[in-house]
Amino acid sequence: MAVFRWGHAWDPFHDLEREVDRLLAGVSLTFQGLRFGRQYPAVNVYDLDHELLITAEIPGVKAEDLELTVADGVLMLRGKRSGIEGVPDERYRRQERPRGPWQRSLSLPERIQEEGLAAEFTNGVLTIHLPKAPSTEPRQIPITDANNEQRILASE
Amino acid sequence: MSQELTPRPDPVSTPTPPVVDQLVFTPPIDIFETADGLVLQADLPGVTSDTLELQVQDNKLTLFGRVDVSLPAGAKLIHQEYAVGHYLRSFILSDDVDHERIAAKLTNGVLEVILPRVAKSEPRRIQIRTE
Repeated sequence: MAVFRWGHAWDPFHDLEREVDRLLAGVSLTFQGLRFGRQYPAVNVYDLDHELLITAEIPGVKAEDLELTVADGVLMLRGKRSGIEGVPDERYRRQERPRGPWQRSLSLPERIQEEGLAAEFTNGVLTIHLPKAPSTEPRQIPITDANNEQRILASE
Repeated sequence: MSQELTPRPDPVSTPTPPVVDQLVFTPPIDIFETADGLVLQADLPGVTSDTLELQVQDNKLTLFGRVDVSLPAGAKLIHQEYAVGHYLRSFILSDDVDHERIAAKLTNGVLEVILPRVAKSEPRRIQIRTE
């Protein structure tokens, strides 16, 4: 599901839009009580020159219950919002906060350096730093005459 | 450029509500009963104990959590699924609640307010005078 629709093929942001679409294409929801009809947690993505920032509001999760893994270009965020132990459901006068296990997967664009991923969790807000791979500079590809020489052209 | 005259606040007037320049959300809450009273929990991501205001006036409990988003300079928002804003919600407390002993704790963006019930006083025996 593509998120962005604006921009044409030569627009410098077109690639970025496509990358962000890929980033958010992978979703998987095991969270009960789908609030607002969308994935939990909701994420915002910011672009800095040297890195992408992903922020998510996940209050009520202890840092040790929060799991962030990356493998094969997929970032997986998993956690659990548990209620207070020892309080049976009938004691609740009102229950609006979501509870239960949740997880969300995000496909990382190729231009992210997986080794440099870092995350911090403060006041219920998770911030993930995704450093961009340095090879985003345009690279000159030498073109040889195929008649004179056999050379494998490097692909992007 | 015209000059604006702001009225000097009257010292005995009621405090004015805080001016917000951002969106204000109603945070989701849970309320449950314990042996001693009620416990209220509210989701306030991004709020710290410095930016949270908890006020009890008459029988109304108001919570106002200010969220200051500090992003590195030059950050461009390229995908948005949630909006950042302050949190505001008020509750009417029953007469049962002991205002003096209300306590609050903020951990990982979750506010927990303990609303203890007024301790039942011992029955007081009234002396009867006889003439």
